[in-house]
Amino acid sequence: MKINPQFSLDIKKYGGMDLNACFNCGSCTAICPLSTAESSFPRKMVRASVLGLEDKINCSLDPWLCFYCGECSETCPKEADPGGLMMALRRYLTSLYDWTGLSKKFYTSHAWEFGAIALVSLLVITLFALFLPPTADPTGLLNQEGGVKINSFVEGMEGEQFVGIIDIGDWVMGGIISLFLLSNIFNMFRKVLWRDKNLKIPLYLYLQEAWNLFFHFATQISFSKCRDKGYWVFHWLLMSGYTLMFTCIVILLPWFQTEKVHPFFHPQRLIGYYATFGILLATVLWSVQRLKKSQEKHRYSHITDWLFLILLFLTALTGILVHLFRINGMIYPTYYTYVVHMAILVPMLVIEVPFSKWTHLAYRPVAIYLHHLKNSALELAQKQQK
Amino acid sequence: MKEQERSPKMIHDVLVIGGGIAGEEASLNLAHMGFTVLLVEKDYSIGGKMIHLSKVFPTLDCSACISTPKMSETSRHPNIKIMTYSEAREIKKSKGLFEGKILKKPRYVDEDSCTGCQLCEEVCPVVVPDQYQYNLVGRKAVYIPFSVALPKLAALDIDSCIRCGACEKACPAGSIDFSQEPEEIPFQVKAIILATGYNLFDARKKADYHFGQFKNVIHAMQMERQLVPTRPYNNVLRPGDGRIPDNIAYVLCTGSRDKSVGNPICSQVCCMYSIKQAQLVMGALPMADVTIYYIDIRSFGKGFEEFYQQTASMGVEFVKGKIAQIEEKENGNLILHYEDIENGGKPVTAEHDMVVLAVGLTANSGITAEFINQEIALDPFDYIKPKDRIVNPALTSAEGVFAAGTATGPMDIPDTILSAGDASAEAASYIRRLE
Repeated sequence: MKINPQFSLDIKKYGGMDLNACFNCGSCTAICPLSTAESSFPRKMVRASVLGLEDKINCSLDPWLCFYCGECSETCPKEADPGGLMMALRRYLTSLYDWTGLSKKFYTSHAWEFGAIALVSLLVITLFALFLPPTADPTGLLNQEGGVKINSFVEGMEGEQFVGIIDIGDWVMGGIISLFLLSNIFNMFRKVLWRDKNLKIPLYLYLQEAWNLFFHFATQISFSKCRDKGYWVFHWLLMSGYTLMFTCIVILLPWFQTEKVHPFFHPQRLIGYYATFGILLATVLWSVQRLKKSQEKHRYSHITDWLFLILLFLTALTGILVHLFRINGMIYPTYYTYVVHMAILVPMLVIEVPFSKWTHLAYRPVAIYLHHLKNSALELAQKQQK
Repeated sequence: MKEQERSPKMIHDVLVIGGGIAGEEASLNLAHMGFTVLLVEKDYSIGGKMIHLSKVFPTLDCSACISTPKMSETSRHPNIKIMTYSEAREIKKSKGLFEGKILKKPRYVDEDSCTGCQLCEEVCPVVVPDQYQYNLVGRKAVYIPFSVALPKLAALDIDSCIRCGACEKACPAGSIDFSQEPEEIPFQVKAIILATGYNLFDARKKADYHFGQFKNVIHAMQMERQLVPTRPYNNVLRPGDGRIPDNIAYVLCTGSRDKSVGNPICSQVCCMYSIKQAQLVMGALPMADVTIYYIDIRSFGKGFEEFYQQTASMGVEFVKGKIAQIEEKENGNLILHYEDIENGGKPVTAEHDMVVLAVGLTANSGITAEFINQEIALDPFDYIKPKDRIVNPALTSAEGVFAAGTATGPMDIPDTILSAGDASAEAASYIRRLE
């Protein structure tokens, strides 16, 4: 087994704390409600990081099985912050799975992270300015409910033309994001599962264990094992709101962005309100907690943690503002807020979803799936040996 | 407060603060050299912590048997004046001499006439936890602190007294005196030795162990009391239901090497006293299993490693892994959570019917605040900081003030004796140079 003494220093770029302080007492693993006999963490990951056992770390799923309740760091007698290390390892693994190398740049360089967001943001604004300017003649832009005809406020476009263009843009963006994210997930499969040539996994097991993927994505049930159940609730609110909204704006945009202002109880509006509520509540709550630093898991904030919260908050805020301006018939505020909304939303999705903190939406359930798959395959192998 | 003019100034060569084994040793050394010593002890009796121990490692000598001769020699030496239940206050250096006051707290018992007959104790109707048995049993509001207390005089705990007057009527010598008041007596000395010892770590601070909440979780001093000849239950019992335990766990590093409870340093004695207690438990309860959960076993002194190996070969189980938390079952048994590091590193639990927390040592250096025009430097852990820990371990940052024993940091009894010897030699040499 190869060691890399440089690793414990390198991991600090991803937010790892003073892991050399660890004296291997095992308090962290013993107090962790998610640590089990099959995958026992975080002490082993601390040890592996101190020694720089990259072979072991790179194929490990343990960082993804940790949901960072912070109890390990609270109980650590050396204040070596094992929970923070697991967080840093998730960032490190995200960079490792990403074959483009962008992820590593975004995580370890402020210039790259901010630069990329600013670049995409400017691109969006430029495209709007050049090709989708606001109409010079605002007459007839209000519908019979008194709201702004949102698909007609662009110069020279009527009816479904504008939403059609945005929809095509969405599908292109969705395609690019999926291409990167799926290829990164493929990379994860390769590093975690297929590098071990001795592990034989029959095809039916992939299907048999696939329910884990959907179940854990939808319920995030592992969170419920952490002592602080409140965090699970808020995280679920945020995740469900975000997923609903993502589906509405990327896949169902023509249904979501209509000329007509629907009545309050129309599902289109209810979904929008639910998602906005969930996202705003969770992002504001966690921002306050990150500022107060009263809880262990909020004590140390990586720049990407802040960007994640701020971009998400601003997206939801501008989104709901577009809606409010629209139903009140304020034409130009609706247009400009719409542009700002897009200038925040697009970089957030393009940068964060395949390369940065948002990846955990995919990696966590995939990791749990792989974990079950691996264990089932091992069990099967044992049975066959007997 | 009595008028100060009535109390003549006490003039001695050295003031020794703290009447534990370090203070006694330092006082005796100086007294034998011909210096006069004023020994001030805040408690009712001298003897410190050592007098309450069962046996000492690694020789298994009876602690009381080897410390009582020092206690009585100290109390009988013509050059030593002992003031118990007293504290030094407002210490000031002027013209090369230290001046200040000794606050003599009221004992409510006349020290000259009390014979220690314990008749008052018999009639007293009040029962409160006995601090000298570490709250395992009760004591009266008027009481002889413990059987080998020195001076062996009654003391009245005014905070729990209900003023029924029963003791006053029962006392044949008429020694109960409710009219006593705090007294301040000025003193003047040439040098001072600080031998204030340590405090036990308050196990309640480690919330995950639930000390004080789970009845069968006790701290090591409570176990120590259960193993001495003057033990409260006359056997080793678990406090929850009085059963004889047969599966005892020791949790090392409770409040030591733990930044999360504010004490990051090693207490130096817990490994060894736990190993010693494990041996004594095996003697007291031959059928009991004893398991010691540790981070590292630090058996660094002379004969310590052999003692550890001997204990392991006697059948005490040593498990590497710090206990992360303790849960209580309905029957009072305890579930201990730890990572079984030496067997693949799995998170596991173990059930025991009694848990002994090997509590660490913390600093007891509040006396330094009483120095008015001198600064006694402390280290980051509030122990008295030696001027130079390698070559002048007994010197403090103030000239003429010396430190002995655990006032300067955690150490065991042999080291404490050496440290007290050093402090007394330094004090003697300082006074000679002064003259």
